[in-house]
Amino acid sequence: MFHWLEKHPFFFAVGVFLVISFAGLIEILPNFAQASRPVIGTAPYSTLELTGRHVYIKNSCNACHSQLVRPFKSETDRYGHYSLSGEYAYDRPFLWGSKRTGPDLWRVGNYRTTDWHENHMKDPAGVVPGSIMPAYTWMFTNKADVDTAYAEQLTVAQFFSVPYNKPVPMKDGSAKVVKMGNSVAEANALALAEAQVIAADMKDQNVKDAVARGEIPEIVALIAYLNSLK
Amino acid sequence: MNKLYLWGIIIAALMLLFTYMSVAGSEGGLNGDIVNILAVAGAVALVIITVFVVIKYVRQMQTDTADGQLADEQWDGIGEYLNNVPTGWAIMFLLTMVWGMWYFIIGYPVNAYSQIGEYNEDTQAHNEKFETQYASITGSRLIEMGESVFLAECKICHGISADGIDGKAANLNKRLEAKVVKHVVENGSNNHLLGTEMPMPDRNGLFNNNTGALITDAEIDAVSAYVANGMRGAGADVFAGACAACHGEDGKGMEYVAPNVAAFTTELVANVLTHGKKGAIGQMPKFDRLNAKQKEAVGAYITSLSK
Repeated sequence: MFHWLEKHPFFFAVGVFLVISFAGLIEILPNFAQASRPVIGTAPYSTLELTGRHVYIKNSCNACHSQLVRPFKSETDRYGHYSLSGEYAYDRPFLWGSKRTGPDLWRVGNYRTTDWHENHMKDPAGVVPGSIMPAYTWMFTNKADVDTAYAEQLTVAQFFSVPYNKPVPMKDGSAKVVKMGNSVAEANALALAEAQVIAADMKDQNVKDAVARGEIPEIVALIAYLNSLK
Repeated sequence: MNKLYLWGIIIAALMLLFTYMSVAGSEGGLNGDIVNILAVAGAVALVIITVFVVIKYVRQMQTDTADGQLADEQWDGIGEYLNNVPTGWAIMFLLTMVWGMWYFIIGYPVNAYSQIGEYNEDTQAHNEKFETQYASITGSRLIEMGESVFLAECKICHGISADGIDGKAANLNKRLEAKVVKHVVENGSNNHLLGTEMPMPDRNGLFNNNTGALITDAEIDAVSAYVANGMRGAGADVFAGACAACHGEDGKGMEYVAPNVAAFTTELVANVLTHGKKGAIGQMPKFDRLNAKQKEAVGAYITSLSK
C-alpha cells in the first residue's frame, strides 16, 4: 500500500494532509471548545442591556475604551479579575479593543454606579478633573432602539442557542433566567421595566419623565449595559 | 604510491600552508598563547584527518563491488541492503523516543511559560512584600496609606479633597449632612454599617419618647440639623427621645446595635467599603478588591479628615 502511495504523489499529499489535520484537530478543538464555553456567572444580555450595547457601539465608545483586563498585577488591582475567554461567549462581536485612551470598562459595573455614570456622561471633566472625554448630552434625549436589540436577541437565540428564558448558573450557585419577549411589544415592555429601575436611581428629571411616559432615552440603556459589565 | 595519495599530500600541504600564513600573517601570530597554539594544532589535525578519510572512501568507491542481500522492495530500480540497524544509531533512536515521552508528559507542561503563572508569581511576591512591610503599620503611616488608596479608588466620586464634588457623593470632611440624616430617618436604612444586616426602621417605627408619639416632620428637621451640626445646637431633646436608645446619648453608637453618627470610625468605613451603600445621595459600589489593611487605612484616613 505504501509502495503504491509513493508512486502517486497526489494521493500521498492527501494522506499527509489527513494525518496532519487529525493531529491538529485533536490538539486544538477540545481546548478551544472548553475555553469558549460560557463561564459560570456569564449570562446573556437582557433586552435593555443589549440596547445599551448598541448605543455603546454606535457612539464608538470602544474606540477609546477596551474591554479586556490583562493578567498583570497593576491591571487586576485597578479593574478586578483578568478576563477569561468564556466571559465573552455572548458578546457578538466582542469589544476587546487594542488601545486605551480611557480606562478599561470590562468590569466597570463592579465599581461605578448609575448616578456616577449619569454625572460623568453629562460632564466628564466635572467628576474626573482633566478628563478629555467629551460630554454625551444627546444620549439624554435620543430614544433608544429596543426593536433592533430584540431582533438580535431573536437571532442569537435561534441560531446560536443563546439561553434566553432558560436558567443560567451563577457564581453563588443560584440560577438566573434572562427573559426575552415573545413579541416586539413584549420586548419593549420588558426593556421599559428594566429602564424604570435604572431611572429611579437617576437625578435628571427629563429622563425620569421620559421613562414615566414609556420612552427609553439612550442614556438609560447605556447605563444598564455598563452596570451589567462585571 | 598512486596519484590519489600524491594529490592528498599536495592538498594537505597547501591547506597547512594557508593555515600557517593566516596565523603568521595576522597581527600577533601565535604569540605564545596556549589557546592560539591549541587552535592551530586543531586546524592541522582536522586538515590531515579530513584529507586521509576522504582518500579512504574514494579508494573504497573505486575498488568496492556490491555484495550482500537486497530487500524485496525496490524504488524505481534502486534497492536496499538487508543490513542490521547500526547499534549506536538504534540506541540513540530509542533514547530520543524516551526523551520525547518525557518532554511531552513532564518537560514541557511543567516548565512551559504561562502568562497566568507569571501573574500568580507576581501577585504572590507582591502580597508577601505587603505582609512584611505594611501589614502592621499604624498611626500616621496608616493614614498615609489610606490617603494613597483614597486617591486611587475614592477620589473619582468623592473628589480629591473628599468634599463629594458639589453633592455628587458624600462629603467626607464631616460625618453626616442634614439631608442624609433626614433621608435615613424618613426611609430607614439597612446598609450593613455594622458589618451585618441591622435594619433601622423608617419614620413609622420611630417613637419620640419625650412626646410618646411618632416622630414629626418638625422633629425630623430639628434632629437632622442637630446631627449634621456635630451633635450641637437645637434638636438635642429629639435625639435623646428618638435616637439615643440605640445610637447612644452622645451619638457614638452601640456595638451590634447602631452605628456611630457623631464621628467616623475605622470599622464603619471598612464596612461601607465591604458592602457598598445606598442612600440619599445615590449608590456607592462595594470595593472588594481592597484588602483588610487597605480598608482599615482608608478608615483611618477618613476619620482623620473630620477631626
